[in-house]
Amino acid sequence: MQIKNSAVSMIIDAADEKELEEIKLQFLGKSGKLTLALKEITKVPIERRAAVGSLANDVKKTIEETIKNHESRIMNQESKTRTEKLDITAPGIKPAIGHLHLITQAVEEISEIFRHIGFTRVRYPEVEWDKYAFEDLNFPKNHPARDDWETFFIKQDPDPKKGPMILTPHTSSGQIREMERKNPPIRMLNIAKCYRRQSDVSHSPMFHQFEGLVVDKNISIAHLKGTLDYFVKSYFGEDRRSRIRPYHFQFTEPSFEVDVSCGMCKGHGCKLCKEGWLEMGGSGMVHPNVLRNGGIDPKEFTGFAFGWGVERVLMMKEGIKIDDLRFLYSSNLNFLEQF
Amino acid sequence: MNIKILDSWLREYLKTKAGAKTIADLLSLTSVSVERLEKYGKNDLTYDIEVTTNRPDLMSVVGLAREAAAVLQQFGNQAEFIPPQISKPQKVKEKLVINIKNNPKLVGRITTIIMSVDLKQSPQYIKDRLETGSIRSINNVIDVTNYVMREIGHPAHVFDYDRLTTKALIIRESKKGESIVTLDNKEHILGGGDIVADDGFGKIIDLLSVMGTQNSVVTDKTKRILFFIDNCDQDRIRKTSMSLNIRSEAAVLNEKGVDPEMAMDAMLRGIELFQEIANGKLLSDIIDIYPNKPPLKRIEVSGEAINSIIGIKIPLKTSENILKKLGFGVVVKTNTLTITIPSFRNKDMEIPEDVVEEIARIYGYHKLPSILPPLYSAENYHLAKDIFYWEKRIKESLKYWGFTEVYTYSMVSENLLEGPTEQAVAIENPLTEDFAYLRKTLVPSLLQATRDNPGRNEVRIFELANIYIPRSKDLPKEILMLAGIIKKQKISFLEVKGIAEQLLNEVGIKDISFEKGDKGGLEINIKLGSEVLGNIEMLNEDIADFELNFELIEKYANLTKIYNSIPKYPPIIEDLNIIIDPNITYEKICSFIKSQSSLINDVSLIDTYKNTKTFRIKYQDPQKTLTNEGVSKIREKLLQNLKQKFPQK
Repeated sequence: MQIKNSAVSMIIDAADEKELEEIKLQFLGKSGKLTLALKEITKVPIERRAAVGSLANDVKKTIEETIKNHESRIMNQESKTRTEKLDITAPGIKPAIGHLHLITQAVEEISEIFRHIGFTRVRYPEVEWDKYAFEDLNFPKNHPARDDWETFFIKQDPDPKKGPMILTPHTSSGQIREMERKNPPIRMLNIAKCYRRQSDVSHSPMFHQFEGLVVDKNISIAHLKGTLDYFVKSYFGEDRRSRIRPYHFQFTEPSFEVDVSCGMCKGHGCKLCKEGWLEMGGSGMVHPNVLRNGGIDPKEFTGFAFGWGVERVLMMKEGIKIDDLRFLYSSNLNFLEQF
Repeated sequence: MNIKILDSWLREYLKTKAGAKTIADLLSLTSVSVERLEKYGKNDLTYDIEVTTNRPDLMSVVGLAREAAAVLQQFGNQAEFIPPQISKPQKVKEKLVINIKNNPKLVGRITTIIMSVDLKQSPQYIKDRLETGSIRSINNVIDVTNYVMREIGHPAHVFDYDRLTTKALIIRESKKGESIVTLDNKEHILGGGDIVADDGFGKIIDLLSVMGTQNSVVTDKTKRILFFIDNCDQDRIRKTSMSLNIRSEAAVLNEKGVDPEMAMDAMLRGIELFQEIANGKLLSDIIDIYPNKPPLKRIEVSGEAINSIIGIKIPLKTSENILKKLGFGVVVKTNTLTITIPSFRNKDMEIPEDVVEEIARIYGYHKLPSILPPLYSAENYHLAKDIFYWEKRIKESLKYWGFTEVYTYSMVSENLLEGPTEQAVAIENPLTEDFAYLRKTLVPSLLQATRDNPGRNEVRIFELANIYIPRSKDLPKEILMLAGIIKKQKISFLEVKGIAEQLLNEVGIKDISFEKGDKGGLEINIKLGSEVLGNIEMLNEDIADFELNFELIEKYANLTKIYNSIPKYPPIIEDLNIIIDPNITYEKICSFIKSQSSLINDVSLIDTYKNTKTFRIKYQDPQKTLTNEGVSKIREKLLQNLKQKFPQK
């Protein structure tokens, strides 16, 4: 009984796991007090042995249970102190993560939006023949875009049929390529690098465009408007509106400039926009000569096309004001890691 | 092209009660974009208008008034266009002489007249109208030429008649190397083929349609003028203007192709203004040399064509009204419109679609419905063959492994090309020498990007972009490459190898091997069978790169799923320390161990210390639970064979 009482009081006083372990050894270990006491049992007269034995077992059980209870109490206490010591405002240990370029993120989003209305994404050569970039797109021979102030030429003899080799200045060169690849119905989304001989804060000599081309029976201006509205609301938001107004391009007739209502002033007019509208880019009904050059009969099929700058829609959407567009291609990690 | 005009000027040719805001909004929707409408002085407003290059006729007050009248009427506003009506001046009795010899290949029309003038300042309203349009007022004589250009739309020029000593103007092509001094006192060496006026003795006395020359223009002593309007070949004008970098208002307009019919309107209006503000007196009759009068053009368009392009039914009567308001002649016959093109639209109206555009825009694009095109059929789609799918997957993997994506230029300097320039695609007209070649590897650009981020101990970047391999008589081969750089202290090859392995694993490419390249240094090829997918380079202690051919990756990438049945019986796993010659490769030891028993299911190296390698070996029998005795037999045989195969030195 003595053993039991002293053990229980010691256990209750024990402050941590280590102390508890020592107590355990002291009483229940090989040379522990209780173990020794049990060995003494042989000295007890035989008729009392059973009673002593059962008492000893009770003591052992009590000690064990007390230890167990106290152990869990100590554990709880310790985890409580750990939580109290924790500074939850300190920075988390994050898994390593990199960043995808803004252009990649925009391209991904644009592709997804058009995929939902059945557009197939393609990519065509960046180094292209004049035929695809200009001639077959109905550009007159002397059009300014064809001279070497605006377009990069490759040092190589022109092909007798396809003309000079150039760096494509627009994704529209994919129009004829796509018409060569397949017959109508065509629903193409061509996203690619383009190059123009221009470098200033709002022009990079290398940039990205996305080009849509739809050719089918009875395609009308109304279908172009529907597609535009769908893109503008999907990409910029439900509250944005789009409009088309007259413009001029060689490869479309009629041609349109596409505007999106300004997200800043909600179309009321502000410093960022032109009377409530932001210009997004060009579009139009595919010129019959272009269809013909692509081997499609313009009497049977009509189509529409649009070609817009990835950089441009990106800036318009995010409201990111980058002072110099060329910054996108500067590999400045302090910039790239923000996105 | 932009034009800025005052509202009060516009209203001299446009009678309407509609406000400027209404005019601006309707023009933007149906014709030209009014980018800004701003207050000018107390009672006036400035329109800042962007005009597309196919509509030089709208680079004028008169042209805009005609267009605005049509648009305003269409949207229910009272409006009327008042065309300029100026009668031809009386013939004069005593005439001064000027001999003009034209070359019709170069100049399609010349109208000219000799007048006496009093040189002074222009009245305030002329100054205001010019200066809002960003044209500096100089004196009344020069101002008339600019005023006429803005109002009627045809550029005009004025010579000092007395400085034309030979009284002759011979229109000819310039010869290469001839030099001139333009009125702004700048010397230019001509490239040849420019349209110039010669005085008959080889001296150039004008650079037609681009800028006057210093030796013949009006000075502050001028008493008599030759008012001169020329309509030149637009392509030559562009070439001259661009190559000499003279982007004068006149040149910018002339290169777009100005209507030669306007040359006479401009002449008459100019004469009227000289008389009004410069005490102008006629000293000759109007000379009109007009060899290239454009023929009258007609276009037919059917009602069906109109409806099917626009997407709704437009009554023929509506189309007819719209076209007439814009100045077209229209004859309706059953279901077809025959359109006569006015001279000022001669250059941009060719085909029925052009006519449909006129109808549709004035009808109002904003009044048309928005309908998604119906999808009747679609191309078959195979995810595993979609290169864009694999691109996305690879890029995202790299991102989640800590890599940041960069976009660098396809054009590089000779230095970044890292190879013989004659074997690269070269740009004929690069912007700078930094962008003179198309790259054949992405790595130098990425190394440059790494250098551009100094002060970072660790850099992990990647790019997916084309390289360009020249081919004879064909477009260069564009190959999509994936390249990355890892910069960190003491970079290990195994770390880079692991990235390459895991990347390929991610797209289902297994069983790749690594082989030292023959370039020397630490260049290691990544191979699938005998095909090289790419390589790894250990550039120095702290920088390594990898570059993989993405086309090959796409070719072998697959979504195949292989199922291995889950073993029913537990494996026994043990670690073996083997003392072995460090020159024997991991791969050799591993495959040897595996070959010892079919029950050895997996072998991996878990530690290396000096000559001791610790291998973890997994024994497993698909048929039954392995016993310790069974395993120890295999182990003993294995250790014995290892000793024999790879004896200790």
